[in-house]
Amino acid sequence: MSVLKIKEISKIFAGPVRAVDNFSLDVADGELVCLLGPSGSGKSTLLRMVGGFETPTSGVMTIDGEDITHVPPEKRPTGMVFQSHALWTHMNVFKNLAFGLKLRKVAPDEIKRRVDGVLDLVGLNGYGTRHVAQLSGGQQQRVALARSLVLEPKILLLDEPFASLDQHLRERLREEVRDIQQRLKITTLFVTHGQDEALSMADRIVVMRDGKTEQIDRPDIVYREPQTPFVAGFIGTMNLIEGTVSNGIFSKAGYSTPLPVSDGPAILAVRPEALDLSVVTENSQGKVHRVTDYGSHGLVDLELLDSTRIKAMVSHPDLFRAGQGVTLAPRAIAAYRGNAVIHRA
Amino acid sequence: MTIVAEGSTGTNENRGGPIGLLLVALPVFLVCWLVIWPIISAVMRTLWLTSETGEKRFSTETYQFFFSDPYSLSNLSLTLWTTCVCALLLLLVCLPIALYLRFSTSKVAAYVQGLAIFPMFVPSIILSFAFIRVLGPNGTVDLLLNAASLPKMRSPYLTPWGPVIGLVWDNIPLTVLILLAGLGSVSNQAIEAARDVGAGKLAVLWHIILPRIVNSILVAISFAVLGIFSAFTLPYILGPAAPELIGPFMQRTFRDLYDPINAITQAVITFGFCIVFGLFYVRSVAKNRAP
Repeated sequence: MSVLKIKEISKIFAGPVRAVDNFSLDVADGELVCLLGPSGSGKSTLLRMVGGFETPTSGVMTIDGEDITHVPPEKRPTGMVFQSHALWTHMNVFKNLAFGLKLRKVAPDEIKRRVDGVLDLVGLNGYGTRHVAQLSGGQQQRVALARSLVLEPKILLLDEPFASLDQHLRERLREEVRDIQQRLKITTLFVTHGQDEALSMADRIVVMRDGKTEQIDRPDIVYREPQTPFVAGFIGTMNLIEGTVSNGIFSKAGYSTPLPVSDGPAILAVRPEALDLSVVTENSQGKVHRVTDYGSHGLVDLELLDSTRIKAMVSHPDLFRAGQGVTLAPRAIAAYRGNAVIHRA
Repeated sequence: MTIVAEGSTGTNENRGGPIGLLLVALPVFLVCWLVIWPIISAVMRTLWLTSETGEKRFSTETYQFFFSDPYSLSNLSLTLWTTCVCALLLLLVCLPIALYLRFSTSKVAAYVQGLAIFPMFVPSIILSFAFIRVLGPNGTVDLLLNAASLPKMRSPYLTPWGPVIGLVWDNIPLTVLILLAGLGSVSNQAIEAARDVGAGKLAVLWHIILPRIVNSILVAISFAVLGIFSAFTLPYILGPAAPELIGPFMQRTFRDLYDPINAITQAVITFGFCIVFGLFYVRSVAKNRAP
């Protein structure tokens, strides 16, 4: 049973730069929560505060009810996996893993048993005597994960662990990490700026911007029902069309669609996969700019009459040519005013 | 494919071309002329002695004299003692400074770095007289002790500790800079990872930092030892009259005793000791460059 509670945490760096601003989050036992956001959103600073490498300016953090806000990293029940692996290159794999256990004065037999067990868990059985420099990037990241897991931490912290790996390896490792996390049922906080990683791994996603929470929800809800235009634009591909609503009609440069909200400015959000196109010869709402065939589907880049660019996903890209006029028929829309949702259909 | 192959061959040819050889020719010539030849010449002159009749003969008598003469041996042992004590003190003084400079985020670090590097720009002769003015008899320290009605201290001036203090002070900048360069290879994340698994500050220093900079320590010590072993100005001004360090001893044998062969013998013996530390340095550099 390991529960992490973060309550009204702030971190102000000299400048002053408010890196994390009054942030609160509860991570349940065995849950994997992803902190997702662009560079500078404060997600790594928050993770480093949980790990003890940064001191919060204000707020409280507890693990299983115990206040850890000012506990030094070496005394926290957390294990962190760093972006650059941070393996000790003067030690072999076994020594890297055994180092923390030796500091805890664990008996040599028990060290060997636990190191062998965790190497088996990450699929590196028999790699104990290898030098760190002899391992590939993926293997090094597995050793870094094993080094944290061997100490059986209450909370596992992952700081963009796959950022330095290629796409193929990244996909394979994130599945493996998710499997291990679920098998061990270890409470995990995972920082990433890759939405694919967050959507495929997390039980819940925290979307962060400028040190604040934009939305905390399950991945499917964050994707389907983004609460702010920022989340809508950050998660997946989203067409965000700024226009005006008058008498229940949203209009923007020749394109209009019913929108039952009060008059005023609005941002219409439509996913490319929820936008149907029809080729027309007159009264077009937009013009095809470019068609990209991805094999399984196509992506049509459109220009509205005022040159606003939007995208539509189509199953038959060969039906579209650059310069063709089209009409738009969204199947699912959301509308925002300011930072709030005003309509969803 | 052919074009690429030809291109790469051309590059290799250029590397070994006459321009490359010309570029290295001058320094190689200077090293041979000013370093290698004097060494060979010195060894030859001390082993092939000219007799009173003018004929050359092979003899090791100058070396036998050096290693059987109590005064020469006490000078050599004082030099070795001074070198070892200086190396140890340099490590004890410079490692904390380098660690502070590497890991401190304070603004004070910049001033400390300035102070640590400052002795590099002070000539040895000025340093020597500053030492005498401060630590010598009736120097600043004595005056301060007198003003505070405290007893006089025993000055290290003209004792074996005089050159030690001066040489340590003189070698701090280079040692700090070399250690600092070595510490640059220890990433912050490697240290954070160690703290994350439970290592306190001492454990981080012992298990993570020191093993990573052991080569830099060897390089720094080799450099310092090479300089200290054959130092002249500071031991000459601050050191005792007898026994004396090998640098002033060599100079006195040559100038005051008009005995160039024994002075050269002392130089060859000094070179023999220095080359051991030089090999340490070469080994450390080679180890650093190994993949």
